[in-house]
Amino acid sequence: MISVIQDTLQTQPGASTRYDSIWAHTGIPSQQPEGLERIMLAEDKLYVVLAVVLIIWFGIVYFILRTDRKLSKVERSIESGIPSETARHT
Amino acid sequence: MQLLVPNLKRYQVIRTVVLVWMTAVVFGAFLLSIPRINILEHTARNLYFHVPMWFTLMAAAVVSAYHSVRYLGSSDIARDIRAAEAACVGVLFGILGLITGIVWARFTWYEGTNIWWNFDPKQSMAAVQLLIYGGYFVLRSTIEDPQKRARMGAVYNLFAFVTLPFLLYVLPRQMDSLHPGAEGNPAFSEITHPIMRLVFYPAVIGFIGLFWVLYTQRVRVAFLRQRTQGDIEL
Repeated sequence: MISVIQDTLQTQPGASTRYDSIWAHTGIPSQQPEGLERIMLAEDKLYVVLAVVLIIWFGIVYFILRTDRKLSKVERSIESGIPSETARHT
Repeated sequence: MQLLVPNLKRYQVIRTVVLVWMTAVVFGAFLLSIPRINILEHTARNLYFHVPMWFTLMAAAVVSAYHSVRYLGSSDIARDIRAAEAACVGVLFGILGLITGIVWARFTWYEGTNIWWNFDPKQSMAAVQLLIYGGYFVLRSTIEDPQKRARMGAVYNLFAFVTLPFLLYVLPRQMDSLHPGAEGNPAFSEITHPIMRLVFYPAVIGFIGLFWVLYTQRVRVAFLRQRTQGDIEL
């Protein structure tokens, strides 16, 4: 399939490839999916939605944890009563 | 100078509303029956997650630019802090939007290929947009004096904001692209079943609310650092 896409991309040098021209040749993939695609394409691609939601969720979780770490640093500096010259970037 | 400290009560109310709202959005995203179409199948539900990331980035950019303008008018460091934190949270959502877009396309339109990055105009422009906002943080980190950093940051932020409508909206629509509304593609409203608006609109509102919660948390931390350590260094 990659070669079909690359062929189509080479037919019109200098012009941007019309996206529908790529998919007009390819049709529905017939070979069995393997590897990661076996999971992702199962259940009518429901797991792709799960992956997207998890990416967003873990991104936000990571961000919240980073903010908490900055908060702890400030709290510690208040308790110790020693403000530093310039705040260090975490 | 009096920092524009967030009202704690209002923050807690909005935080609770946002968390409950987003929980309902996630339930609705998976439970609402949607029409199944070729290639996309269930992944059309990513509409509720991938697209709001970009609306949130735009909202964050507006908030950030607003505070930059207000800083230039008042030289109030609190404005600079708010502008920087809004941009920071906005970029987070931009990165999440980019990653989710890659994963969405990889297993639908690029199923069977090993293509992860598609050089889709909107995708590429969005990456450039995030680099431009990344430059904002690089610029800030090079300047020691807080007021100078704030002023130069504010000016750069406004430049970055001006590029936003062009890179994310105008340019991609003129080019051949997978995204709805681009050359050769029907508009979003034409190809999306109206039932999806039931979850889509609340999702956009909910994610923007989530941005506000995260942004306000970061602002509270930054104000604390400003008051105890005399300077924030983003």
